[in-house]
Amino acid sequence: MATKKEEKQFEKECKAARKARYKRMKAEGLEKWLTPEQIRYNRRKAITGAIWPIFRFLILFGLCFVILYPLIFMISTAFRPNEQMNDPSIVWLPKSLTLDNIKQTWKVMKFDQTVLTTVRLNLIASVLQVITTAITGYGFARFKFKGKSIMFAIVVLMIIVPPQITTIPLYMQYAFFKPQWLAKLFTGGATSLINTGWTMYLPAMFANGLRAGLFIFIFRQFFRGLPKELEDAAYLDGCGPFKTFLVVMVPNAKTSFLTVFLFSIVWYWNDFYVSSSFFTHTDTVALMLKNLDAQLQQDLFGGQAISVRQIIVWLEAGCVLSITPLLVMYIFLQRYFIEGIERSGITGM
Amino acid sequence: MSELEKDLNAEELEENIEQTAEEVAEAEPSETVSTVIDEAEEAAVEAAAEEPVRREEPRAVNAKAQKPARISYERKKQLYGYGFIALWIIGTLYFFIYPLVVSLVYSFHDTKVGSGGMELSNLGFQNYVNAFRQDQDYSKALVETLSNTALKTPLILIFSIFIAVILNQKFRGRTFARAVFFLPVIIATGPVIDIINGNMSTSGTAGGAEQFSSMFEANLVDELLNFLGIYNISEKLTEVINSLTSDIFNLVWNSGIQILLFLSALQGIPYSAKEAAQMEGATSWEYFWKITIPYISPQILTCLVYTIVDSFVDPGNQVMEKVLSKASSWEHGYSAAMAWAYFAIIGVVLAIVVAIINKFIYYEVE
Repeated sequence: MATKKEEKQFEKECKAARKARYKRMKAEGLEKWLTPEQIRYNRRKAITGAIWPIFRFLILFGLCFVILYPLIFMISTAFRPNEQMNDPSIVWLPKSLTLDNIKQTWKVMKFDQTVLTTVRLNLIASVLQVITTAITGYGFARFKFKGKSIMFAIVVLMIIVPPQITTIPLYMQYAFFKPQWLAKLFTGGATSLINTGWTMYLPAMFANGLRAGLFIFIFRQFFRGLPKELEDAAYLDGCGPFKTFLVVMVPNAKTSFLTVFLFSIVWYWNDFYVSSSFFTHTDTVALMLKNLDAQLQQDLFGGQAISVRQIIVWLEAGCVLSITPLLVMYIFLQRYFIEGIERSGITGM
Repeated sequence: MSELEKDLNAEELEENIEQTAEEVAEAEPSETVSTVIDEAEEAAVEAAAEEPVRREEPRAVNAKAQKPARISYERKKQLYGYGFIALWIIGTLYFFIYPLVVSLVYSFHDTKVGSGGMELSNLGFQNYVNAFRQDQDYSKALVETLSNTALKTPLILIFSIFIAVILNQKFRGRTFARAVFFLPVIIATGPVIDIINGNMSTSGTAGGAEQFSSMFEANLVDELLNFLGIYNISEKLTEVINSLTSDIFNLVWNSGIQILLFLSALQGIPYSAKEAAQMEGATSWEYFWKITIPYISPQILTCLVYTIVDSFVDPGNQVMEKVLSKASSWEHGYSAAMAWAYFAIIGVVLAIVVAIINKFIYYEVE
């Protein structure tokens, strides 16, 4: 199997050779060399080769526009003064820009504090989740044991069953956590884990966090793709399985660790269903954003009932605030999201 | 500590050797069996007699040097396997299986939240009967969701294959285009997009999803048909076409993962296949149907399952909305019953779809 670079080089050379030959043939008269069918084939190929890029550009441009449309709307709205929202002469470009919306929304959302809480929750849960799902994925990829297929079916079930089904029983489990001394140890006195970070850390610690099934699946596929000789060499050199995993497999799986970690961060950041079930305070970014209109009415309008239309600029400012960290991360680490999945791939089910 | 480790390692090494010795011991008699057909029975008897003796030897030596009872290498590896997934087993039992079972139990009961937990009173299948017989919205929502999914899934699949093929070509700005097409995956799971969409539809001036889709809307289809000389072909048909074209926004926003999956599958097509097709003078159309589709067909199944599941469990669809609203109004038993009935149906649908599609899939055998 040739590497990508060699392929590229090869293709380039082929193209150049083909062109040169075609030129020579054309000088001597094409009919001499090619059948009419071949001439027709070549002509058709040349025509599609010229037209297709234009179509491709149009299609991609249109669809990119569809995707970016809400984001453009968000940015266009968040930075304009509220009065200009109802000005019919403005559609996209406001007459003046302002940062007031952002500042006010920042205050309403208590953004600095909220972000700190969210980042703390996210990072701890994601790190725990990545570690435990990697271990589990490796176990599924490389060991044979009784009941493995049934257990893996459960992993798939974890992907399919939405969290909504298990939330209420889970809530009861957290609220009346047993054994109680353990709950007291976690929370420092209380017997209920509700409203503490443990509702996120505990599942993540046991490879059952948000979308853990998918991550186990990704890791399993990745580890299965690595050559077995790597481990055999380590075993012969006298490593036990756990040491082999740490010393040999983990360094090889760096990209897939990063991919899973990034996805985990994104999903924890975006999650509002699970956190709204287990937190009664609204102190993560997603929850704040969900609650923003009520909060805005209270803080900016003194509790009057205000229609959504009148507070759009602030809502959009809130959106800008909460999506910016993700977008920045995505822009810089974009290739790990895409290539990570491509390579560690869910391919080869 | 290091002493102990060394000891353990030595043990393992010995075991490796032991195992290979065992394999050799097993391989030898079987060879005799296959080569000398006439004496097959005799050889088998001999092998059976020989085997325990040969196996005993290293063990006897070991027994003198180390512990008397030892587990075999295979068995040890199995134990290590359990060791690796032990955390997950505990977690799944506690955080997944148990709540799942409890919610199943709820579905057969009338629930009340008490001071010490849930108070249950048995209802039997009453909750399920109520869902289908008494509740007028439930069956309707179920049908609606099913037909929606049936309509949307093929569209998403075709669309994402198309886009993936385009994004797999080489052109300038490909990285940017890929990044944009994958953007929905990052954003769409959060609350942001709902808020923006809601705002877009309430604000008059700057369009919104509705105005957006009106670019492609209704009359265009009708006019096209009229232009072709087809009048009043059927209300239903134009309606279907309309709903498809006006839904392009949701289509694009829902197919990020599928595009990614297909992209990775496309990259798995071996270069030799492409080269061979070029040599034979295949047009890109032929290439697509004869090379691309067979190679990515396993991925089509994956995407199909993913799309169906994704659309069924989307909290925005009618059934899920109903389930959630019942749960938030403290009718946990009833909500659980609805959810379980729904998931039984999803399971059946998935099983049927997978069984059918599996027949058309081409797996490359190496």
